[in-house]
Amino acid sequence: MIPLLDQDAILRAKANTKKPETMEEQGLRVRYHVENPLKGGRAQRFLEAFAAILKHSSYGLILEQYVRTSLKCARCAVSCMLYEATGDPKDVPCYRSAFLIETYRRHFTLAGSLKAKLFGDPGLTDETIEEMADSFYNCTACRKCVLECPAGIDHGLLTHLGRYILSEIGITPRALVVSVREQVQGKTRNTSAIPIPAMIDSCEFLEEEIEEAKGAKVKFPIDQEGAEHLFFAPVSDYMMEADTLCGIAAVLHQIGASWTIGTKNFDGINYGLFYSDIIMDRVLNEIPKEVKRLKTKKVLIGECGHASRTAKVFLKTFCEEGESPPVVSIIELTHAALKAGKLKLDPNVVTDRVVYHDPCNMARKGWIIDQPREILRAFCKDYVEMTPNGRENYCCGGGGGTVSIDELRPYRTSIAGKKKAEQLQETGAKLVVAPCANCKKQLREVVDDNGLDCEIVGLHDLIFRAIILQENDSPEKTPESTIPNE
Amino acid sequence: MLEFWLELAKGPIFRFSFALCVLGLARIVMLSAWGAAKAYYAAGDKELPYSLIWRTTIHWLFPIRMGLRNRPFFSIVSILFHIGLIIVPIFLFAHIQLWYQGAGLWWPAIPRHLAEFLTVTTILSAILLFLARVWSSASRHISRGQEFMWPLLLIIPFLSGFFCSHPAWSPLSYNAMLLIHILSGNFILLLIPLTKISHCILTPFSQFISELGWHFPKNSAKDVEITLGKQGQPI
Ligand code: HEM
Ligand code: SF4
Repeated sequence: MIPLLDQDAILRAKANTKKPETMEEQGLRVRYHVENPLKGGRAQRFLEAFAAILKHSSYGLILEQYVRTSLKCARCAVSCMLYEATGDPKDVPCYRSAFLIETYRRHFTLAGSLKAKLFGDPGLTDETIEEMADSFYNCTACRKCVLECPAGIDHGLLTHLGRYILSEIGITPRALVVSVREQVQGKTRNTSAIPIPAMIDSCEFLEEEIEEAKGAKVKFPIDQEGAEHLFFAPVSDYMMEADTLCGIAAVLHQIGASWTIGTKNFDGINYGLFYSDIIMDRVLNEIPKEVKRLKTKKVLIGECGHASRTAKVFLKTFCEEGESPPVVSIIELTHAALKAGKLKLDPNVVTDRVVYHDPCNMARKGWIIDQPREILRAFCKDYVEMTPNGRENYCCGGGGGTVSIDELRPYRTSIAGKKKAEQLQETGAKLVVAPCANCKKQLREVVDDNGLDCEIVGLHDLIFRAIILQENDSPEKTPESTIPNE
Repeated sequence: MLEFWLELAKGPIFRFSFALCVLGLARIVMLSAWGAAKAYYAAGDKELPYSLIWRTTIHWLFPIRMGLRNRPFFSIVSILFHIGLIIVPIFLFAHIQLWYQGAGLWWPAIPRHLAEFLTVTTILSAILLFLARVWSSASRHISRGQEFMWPLLLIIPFLSGFFCSHPAWSPLSYNAMLLIHILSGNFILLLIPLTKISHCILTPFSQFISELGWHFPKNSAKDVEITLGKQGQPI
C-alpha cells in the first residue's frame, strides 16, 4: 500500500487562491474561477434544469437503475486515484455519485418524496450544490472506477451529468467557457483563438522544419477540396506540439494519403464532453459543415483523447442521419500503414527507455490500446509498460477538462497526478509517450512539480524522430485497404 | 396460540410476501425493460458494444477473478455470503417439502450437511461483512442505515433455521424459533423489491443499461435548450 499524502500537502493542494471578495460576492466557494454563477434560488433552478434534462434524455434510465442497485460496497474506492492519494471518504466514487442519485431519489421518485414528507427532509440545498460543484470537478471523469463496480454504476457518466446540470445554473470553470465561446461564436472559431493566418504560417514553418530534418518536401495541405481526410488536431498543437504535427504530416506524406486542413474549422477540441451536451452537440454539428464544404470523405482526428472520443462516439449521436462522416484516429491510420509495411522507422534513433501512457478516452472501452504499442515496439529499443495499463490505466490526473483550469494546477499535480507520477517513476522511463494534448500538458506539469526526470512526447513526435522519408513529389494514391474504415 | 401463528406465517403471510416479492421484482424488471427500450429507440447511435457488455456482465455475475484484485478479503467473504444466501433457501430439503405439500412442486435438494455448512458460512460471513463495513472508513462513510442493517437482518432466518434443525442447542422452544425463522424470512421477501436487494434481479442488466446511458437521444440537447428557454443565447 502506497502511503497517502499528508494532511498539510492535501491542504496546500486544495488551497483556494481566489479573492475572498469574489467568492463572497458570488456566494460560491470553489477553487476554480466561475464567470457568472446564478445567485439565489440555485437549488430550485438546479432541479428545473435536472427535470428538463430528464425529460428529453435517457439519464432517467440509469438513475432509476442506480437508485435501486447502488450497493455501497466501496470497491470503487480502491480504484480511484483521488481516494488513493487522500484517503478522504469524500473522494470515494460512490460518495460522489450519491449527490445525484440521492437528489434524484428525493425529488423525482414517488418513494423519495413520500419519505421526505414523512421525515420533513428539506431536499436539495445550496450547500449540497456547492459540494457538488467542488466534487464533480475533482473527478476527472476517467471512468476507471466503472471497471470495479459490481452494480455497473458508471460514476463517470454521473460526473458528466452533474456538470451538465451545474452548467445550466452558471457553474462551469471559466477556462472552459471562455474557450468554448471563442470556438462557437468567436472570430477564429477555435478554442485557443489562433488566427487563421497564424495557423497557416505555422504550417509553412513546419514544412520547412521537416525539410530541414528529413530532407523531404512534406505538405500541410490547406483547404484542398475533395481530399479523403479532413484533419482536426487539438488546436493547441499548432502552438505547443510542433513535433507531433510534423510526425503526422510525415506519416501521411509517406503513405501518400490525401488530406487537408480546413480553414473554417480545424479544431478537434470539444469541451462539451466535459460540461454540457448542448455544447457538445453544437461543436460537433460544425464538423459535417466543413466536411461538406471541402467535399472530404472522412474525419481524421489528431493526437487527442477526448477529441477522438467525441467525434468517434458522438457524431453519430448528434448529427443528422447520413450527415455524420466516418471518423478515423491518426493512430489507427499510422498503425495500418505500419502493418502494410509502408513506414520505414529507424530502430537506432530512439534508444532511451520509452513508456506509453493510455489516454482514458481512447483506452477505457478498448478502442486504442494495442495499436500505439505495436508502433512503438517496432522502433523503440527499450520499450516498457507501466502497471496497470490499457483499459485499466490510471488517468493522467488532468482529464475531464481540468487540465485547462490553471488555478487547479496544485491539485492536479499533487493529488490527481500522484498515482501517475509514481507509475512513471517506477518504470524509470526517460520518454513518456502520451498521444493526447491534454495528457501531455498535464504530464509535463506533473513531471515538473514532482521533480521527475523524464520527457513527455507524443506518439508521432517519436515517429518523426525515427521515420525515414523518401523524396516523393507526386504521392501516389493510397490503396483503400491500408486505411481503416472508421 | 403459537401454533395458530405458525400456521398463519406458513400459509397466508408467506403467500402474500412471496407474491409481493415476485410481483415487485417483475414490476421493476418491466419498468427497466421499458425504460431501456425507450432509450434504445431514442438513441442517436444504436450501435452498442455487445461483446464487451456480455463479458463484463458475466464477469460480475460469476466474480471469480475480481476477488483477488481489489478488497480481496471483503470479496471472498461476500462471495461465500451470497452462495449460502441463494442456495440454502431454495435447495433446502425442508423448504422443498413445503413447496411439494403446498403446490405440488418438486426439485432436487442439497445434502443436509452441505446445507448446514453453507448456513454457518453465511452467518459468519454476514458478521464479517458487517464488521468490515464498520471498520473500513470508505465503506462506513458511504453507507446508509440499510447497509448496516442488511447483514444483521439476514442472519436472523439463517440462525433461527440452524436452531430449528438443532433444537438441542436452541435457547427457545422449537415452535418459537420456527416462528422467528418464518416471519423474518417473510419480512425479507417483502423488502427485496423495495430496497437495494432488488440488485438480485437488476445486476444482470446493469452493464447494458450503463452502456445505453451513454447513447444519448439525437435531439436531447436541443430539446433541453428549448425547454429551458435558452436556444440561440450566446455562451
Ligand atoms: C443472483 C443474485 C445476486 C447477485 C448477482 C448479487 C450480487 C451482489 C453484488 C455484486 C454485491 C456487492 C458487492 C460485493 O459484496 O461484493 C452484493 C451485495 C449484497 N448482496 Fe447480493 N447478489 C445477489 C443476490 C442477493 C440476495 C438474494 C440477497 C439477499 C437476500 C443479497 C444480499 C446482498 C447484501 C446484503 C449485500 C451487501 C453486502 C455488504 O454488506 O456489503 N444478494 N450482491
Ligand atoms: S471517474 Fe476517475 S476520478 Fe472520477 S471517481 Fe471514478 S476513478 Fe475517480
